[in-house]
Amino acid sequence: MNDTSQSLPGRWSRGKRDLGIALWIAFLSACVGTFVIFAVLDPDALNDAWVLPWEMGRRLAYSLGFLFLFLVSLIASGLTIFMIRTGPKSGHASGTGRRPPPEIRSPEEENPDLDIGDFK
Amino acid sequence: MKQDSAPEKPGAGESLYRKEPKIYARQVKGTFARLRVIAVWVLLGLYYVLPWLNINGNQAVLFDLPARKFYILGLTFWPQDFVYLALLMITAGLSLFFFTALAGRLWCGFACPQTVWTETFMWIEQWVEGDRAKRMKLDKAPWTADKIMRKSAKQALWILFAAWTGFTFVGFFSPIRELGANIASLSLGPWETFWIVFYSFATYGNAGFLREQVCKYMCPYARFQSAMFDKDTLIISYDPERGEPRGGRRKKDNPAEKGLGDCINCTLCVQVCPTGIDIRNGLQYECIACAACIDVCDQVMDKMEYPRGLIRYTTEHSLKHKTKHVIRPRIIIYGVLLIAILGGTIWSMTHRVPLRADLIRDRNALYRELPGNLVENVYTLKITNMDNAPHRYDMRVLNNDAVEIDMDKPLSLQAEEVLGVSVRLRIPRSAGQGVQTLDIEFQSQDDPSIRIETTAKALMPMDFGN
Repeated sequence: MNDTSQSLPGRWSRGKRDLGIALWIAFLSACVGTFVIFAVLDPDALNDAWVLPWEMGRRLAYSLGFLFLFLVSLIASGLTIFMIRTGPKSGHASGTGRRPPPEIRSPEEENPDLDIGDFK
Repeated sequence: MKQDSAPEKPGAGESLYRKEPKIYARQVKGTFARLRVIAVWVLLGLYYVLPWLNINGNQAVLFDLPARKFYILGLTFWPQDFVYLALLMITAGLSLFFFTALAGRLWCGFACPQTVWTETFMWIEQWVEGDRAKRMKLDKAPWTADKIMRKSAKQALWILFAAWTGFTFVGFFSPIRELGANIASLSLGPWETFWIVFYSFATYGNAGFLREQVCKYMCPYARFQSAMFDKDTLIISYDPERGEPRGGRRKKDNPAEKGLGDCINCTLCVQVCPTGIDIRNGLQYECIACAACIDVCDQVMDKMEYPRGLIRYTTEHSLKHKTKHVIRPRIIIYGVLLIAILGGTIWSMTHRVPLRADLIRDRNALYRELPGNLVENVYTLKITNMDNAPHRYDMRVLNNDAVEIDMDKPLSLQAEEVLGVSVRLRIPRSAGQGVQTLDIEFQSQDDPSIRIETTAKALMPMDFGN
C-alpha cells in the first residue's frame, strides 16, 4: 500500500488555479456569446454596412467574433480575479484582524485654544 | 501613541461582523477645496450644458447611434473614423499614467465622476441637514416631524438631481430638445425611458450611498496605482519627523519644552477625510488625494501660528531628504508618447479628407467583351460625402487614360449623403491580361483639395492562343 515511488496527485498553486479559472470561464462565456450572436446574425448579410474596406467570409467572421468575445471575457474574468486577490485583506466586514477606524475627538479637548466654530 | 493600529481580534462571543461605519465628512475650506469646487463646476457645467448648445446646426455633442454619426464640437465622425476613438482611448490612458506618475491620484481627487457627483450630493446633504455635528445628531435622533421633513427633502433633491443627470446623459445620444419635448408631452420611447431611469439610479446609488466604498472596494485604478507610482511621485503625506510626538497643548506653550512635535492631535484631518482614514498612518490605498486634510491642517497651523505644511503634497524622496527628480525616465517616456499620439491625432483629424469611396466589383459577373477591343467590368460604387456642404465629384482612372467610365447617375451628393452608383469601366484589351489593378481618383469639382485615391481590380480575358 505504501508505495512511495508513486507521488500523490499535487494541488495547483493559487496562481495556476487563478489562470485556469480565468481562461476556462472566459472560454465558456465566449462560446455561449458566439453561439447566440451568430445564431441571429449572418456576417455575410452585413457586407453592405461593413465598416472595414474588405469583405470577410463567414468562417473568418465567426473565428474573429469568437476570438474577440474570448478576449473581452478574458479581460473581465482576469480583472475580477485580480480585484478579489488584491482587495483589502483586513478591511472586510467579517474579516478578522481588521484595523479599527481612526480615533476621532473634539479638537478642543486637548487644545483649549482651538475653537471648533472656526472649522465650519 | 494613541493611534495604535494593532489588529482587533474578535473575542469570545463578539460578532465577526462589523458594519462599515458611516462617514460624516466635515466640510473644509482652503486652496484645494476651492480647486475642487472649480473642477466640479467646470466638469458638471460641461456635462449639463454641452448638449444644449448647437454648432453648425447640430447639437454640440451628439452620439447619434441610429444614424451612425458622432457630432463632436462641429466635427462629424463616421463609423470609418473609429480609429480616432481608439486613439482617444490611448491618449486618455496615457494621460492618466502621465499625471499619476507626476502628481499621484489627481484624477481621483478632482476629476473622477464618482468624486464630482459625490461632492455635489454632499453639498445638497450639507445644505438640507446641516454640518457634520448636526448630521450626526439628526441620524441619532428619533423620527420627529423635523427629521422626516429634512430627510425627505434631501431624498427629493437627490432624486431630482439624479433624474436630471439621467436625462442629460440620454440627451447625448438622442437630441436633447426633442427628448425634453417628449418628456413634457409624456411620449417618451421605452428605451429612452429605460436609460434615463437606469442612469439616474446609478447616479443616486453611487453618489448618494456607495460614495467612498466604490473607491475602496470596486475601483481597479486604485489597485493599479502602485505600478504608476515611484518615490518621486507627488503624494499627500504627513511629515512625521516634524509632527511627532503628537499631543495637545496651549497656543503659548513651547512644544520643544513639552517634548512635543507640531501635531496637536486635533484629529481634524481624520474628520474631513471622505474615506475616513488617518493620513498620519502613512500612504494608504483608500486615500483618493482630495487634499481636504491639507486644507484643514493648514488652517490649524495658522491658528497655532506654526508654519503650514505639516500635511502637504510631497514625495517619498523629499520626506527622506533624498534628491528629488521631477524629470525621470517614466515621465519622459509617458510625456513623449502622449505628445506624439495627441499631435498625430490632431494632425490627422485636421487633414482628413471628407470623402470616402469604395468600388466593389460585381461578384456575379466575370467581364464582357465589347466590340472595339474593349472589356467591360461592372462595379458598385459606394461614395460618401462626409462634409457639411454638398459636392459634385469627378472620377478618373489615373494609370490608364483610355478607360471609359459609364455611371448610371452623376456623383452629386448632398451634405453627409451616402450614394450607391452602378459603374461600368470599359478597358482596352491592351491594358493587359488576367487581374489588372486600376488606380482611381475622386475629386470634388468645387474644392480640389477634397481628393482621394483608391484602387479597383479589373478582370481581363487571357489570350492563350498567342
